Amino acid sequence: MSSPKPPSPPPPPPIKLDFVAGLLSYLVPGLGQLTQGRVGKGLLYLVCLYTLFFYGMNLGKWQNVYLPNYVEEGNVNAKKGLASNLYTRFQFVGQFPIGIAAWPALYQYYSSGEDKDANPPMNGWMRAPSVVRINELQRDTDKTWDLGWVYTIIAGVLNVLVIYDALAGPAFRQAKAAPPQETPPT
Amino acid sequence: MSIYIHLPILIVVVSLVYSATRHDNWNKILHEALHWGFRMTSFLVAIGLILFALSTFL
Repeated sequence: MSSPKPPSPPPPPPIKLDFVAGLLSYLVPGLGQLTQGRVGKGLLYLVCLYTLFFYGMNLGKWQNVYLPNYVEEGNVNAKKGLASNLYTRFQFVGQFPIGIAAWPALYQYYSSGEDKDANPPMNGWMRAPSVVRINELQRDTDKTWDLGWVYTIIAGVLNVLVIYDALAGPAFRQAKAAPPQETPPT
Repeated sequence: MSIYIHLPILIVVVSLVYSATRHDNWNKILHEALHWGFRMTSFLVAIGLILFALSTFL
């Protein structure tokens, strides 16, 4: 005679996608979780990812997050030019998901030009360095310039997981504990 | 200065964030983060030892 099966745990509730929280977590890591009331996790994401991203920037002398504009204006249309520049600096594709923190690079990209190079906006924050400067950074900084952009990319890619966590919850969800059943009065 | 001194922050952040995206329970997050930290450190040490051996004895 077979013994009765133990009761299986209740299934987790169906996933509800929270697109607003996903967008907020893209803008600032952990902001979506904070608005969902998961304060601890939100703060963990915020502190960890910004620490890693800016630590990486610091390793690269604050000059390894940028999108250069190597395509000469007038030669190709804007979309092809952006695709070509992204292909040239593919690292930015991984840095972009960190959110607002990488937007100055886009602003600098769209405000590039010979007249702006002399006096760049935002004091040149996230502006593409010259080729001569890139050579100096790679030659004189004991590989930390390259290590730094790897860190910024890892921070950006980790934020994709954080966005998904805000959108659909953690990978392993737990069923909420069932409320205690009331016993009918005898 | 060796660039390897920058590794701990990477291991800590990756372990914590990855584990936090898998669970909501703090005990599980910390438990899994410790596991991932140990796995990554072991892997990096193993690779380092192999490369050191190759460069020394080959």
